[in-house]
Amino acid sequence: MQKNALHILLADDDEDDRLFFKDAFEEVKVQTKVEFVFDGLQLMEHLHNPDTKLPDILFLDLNMPKKTGKECLIEIKKTDHLKNLIIAIYSTSSSDEDIEDTFIHGANIYIKKPSDFNALKKIINEVITLNWHYHTSGLNRDNFLLSLK
Amino acid sequence: MKWIPNFNSSGSLRFIFIIAIFILLFLSSITYKHNQDLNESSKLVMHTYEINIQLEQLMSAIKDAETGQRGYMITRNSRFLAPYLFSRDKVNTSFIALKKLTADSPKQQENLKKLFKLIIQRYVSFENCLKYSEPRTYDKRKLDNHMFGGRILMENIRFQVDKMNDIEKKILEERLKKYDEEISLSPFFSISLFLAALIFILLAYRQISNDIVRLKIYNKKLLISSGLMAESEVIGKFSTWQWDLESNKIDYSDNQFRLLGEEPKSFIPKKETFLEFVHPEDKETIENSIQGIIDNKRLPFVYYKIVRKDKQIRYFKSTGKLLVDQQGSKILLGINFDITDEHLLNIKLQERNNELEKSNQELASFNHVASHDLQEPLRKIQTFISRVSDADRAVISDSAKEYITKIETSAKRMRVLIDDLLLFSRTNTTKKEFIKTDLNELFKNAISELAEVIDDKKAKITVSDLPKLYVIPYQIEQLFINLIGNSLKYSQPDILPTISIESEKVLAADYPELLDPSVKKYHKITFKDNGMGFDTQFKETIFVLFQRLHSKTDFPGTGIGLAICKKIVENHKGYITADSEINIGSLFTVYLPE
Repeated sequence: MQKNALHILLADDDEDDRLFFKDAFEEVKVQTKVEFVFDGLQLMEHLHNPDTKLPDILFLDLNMPKKTGKECLIEIKKTDHLKNLIIAIYSTSSSDEDIEDTFIHGANIYIKKPSDFNALKKIINEVITLNWHYHTSGLNRDNFLLSLK
Repeated sequence: MKWIPNFNSSGSLRFIFIIAIFILLFLSSITYKHNQDLNESSKLVMHTYEINIQLEQLMSAIKDAETGQRGYMITRNSRFLAPYLFSRDKVNTSFIALKKLTADSPKQQENLKKLFKLIIQRYVSFENCLKYSEPRTYDKRKLDNHMFGGRILMENIRFQVDKMNDIEKKILEERLKKYDEEISLSPFFSISLFLAALIFILLAYRQISNDIVRLKIYNKKLLISSGLMAESEVIGKFSTWQWDLESNKIDYSDNQFRLLGEEPKSFIPKKETFLEFVHPEDKETIENSIQGIIDNKRLPFVYYKIVRKDKQIRYFKSTGKLLVDQQGSKILLGINFDITDEHLLNIKLQERNNELEKSNQELASFNHVASHDLQEPLRKIQTFISRVSDADRAVISDSAKEYITKIETSAKRMRVLIDDLLLFSRTNTTKKEFIKTDLNELFKNAISELAEVIDDKKAKITVSDLPKLYVIPYQIEQLFINLIGNSLKYSQPDILPTISIESEKVLAADYPELLDPSVKKYHKITFKDNGMGFDTQFKETIFVLFQRLHSKTDFPGTGIGLAICKKIVENHKGYITADSEINIGSLFTVYLPE
């Protein structure tokens, strides 16, 4: 793997979703390095570990055992060396409440897990090619939810 | 607070009576004096006459003596001398009486002395006459002299007696005149005083009878209102008590006894008696609030339980207020309400509420299950199917290919169902924020949402000016999408669909069977199409959840769309109706309150 490969971390307890995610990244043309954690506790341990190289983008599932994605999000944003981490919420839910909450707590983008593999590839492609500096500075509720047809 | 009618005559009555009594006392003292005076004057008259009589007797005694002496001198018969001899005693008796009678007047005493001297001189002259008429000592010249001198003395005596009589008469006249003056003043004066007293008493009588009439009226009113009060206490399950803070006397209304489970007036209420009825749990609170009444002169609402003798527990609510009557005495008025029925009802309501809350929570968790847990396996099914690549499909059998297609269709339908269900439940559970919104804007949004279908079907949509209303914007937009979408979906195959939307203001009174008359005006928005229509017997059922009039192969759908429409309109306290004619078109009417 190359040195300048994009470093991706997915926190998701669902094995199938991790599989889809991994397969989709393999088919994306950009050089990436994808890592997985299986629940919220493991995610926070991983991030707090001084040996860890922080990811470029963290994909965070909301519905996880032990510690939910929302709790992780709040904790990350409270931690000094983690608060600038780019966080993409990656969830089955598309409830207004979840979208509103994660926006308020400082997530960068909200992705509803698609039900089509091609759609997933498209989304991933979009997210990793996004100009994050530009996106983050102009972040608002309308472009927070990444919607792909 | 003035809650006792004003009878201010009692003060003036007292005044009138006091004046009348003084007048009468004065009158009686005058009468007494009058009587005294009369008595005095009659005594005076008597006194004068007595003096007069005594003087006359004196005179007659002397005349008798004179007459007797003359008889003797002529006849020399000593029988004639008897009156002369007796007359001296008579003179002495009269003289003693006169001396007594004139004791109060020095002037008369002086006159009496003179008279006495004259009488003595007269008797000396009698003696001399007798002496010189005796044959032995007869002296004509001396006898003549003494006889003549006796004559002059007699005239002097008469003169002196008359003088004394005159003086007495004068004194009598003077005194009588003085009394007359005093008495002549009083009759007029006392009659007028008597009349004044009479007028005062009559005035008082009039005042009293007026007061009695008024009292009778008030008494009647009081009787009626106290009767009504007692009745209303029974009906309203409340009671009153009065606590006279000065005399420390407590009065219960009849119903107060009944509320405590006792016969009216079966005991004499005291501050402590009430506490005996209070439930042990609430005793301290009530004790404190009784102390609070005394300290603060008022009683804020207090809720507590009481235990009747038959162990029945009743729930009470009490309050009180301090009243000050005209006499300035302080009375604490209290009201007790028996709220047992309401309390039990409240408990029942609370239970129902809890149940409802529970079921609401269940609904919310169902919502979560639907939104998350049901979607997740479905999403995976769809993703896995999407991963069956064209290359894979080429190597499997035709029937397997068909099965996969059917799985795909079913999964899609399942997704639509879940999404619609979620939409329906969210219409119910999400926050209802009413914002003044231009419905024309919402309509535009709806049209752009449906743009693709409208283009496909080459539909013609016309709209009149829509109002600005306080609505939940995204719900009304959803309503427009669902109703227009419905018309597009059930359009007739050979005819280009036209949908016209119109709005007008109507009065609730014009639709008495449908609209709530407490809201005066409604906006009536109609959605009219030229679609295939439906049988009017279904015009109610089409709004019921999962009710479908067509098979899902003809028209895919979940039977939720119109149910959502109804829910949205109900959220806005409005009404929705449908009417239709097969192959002509349908008309949906929405009424939203202004």
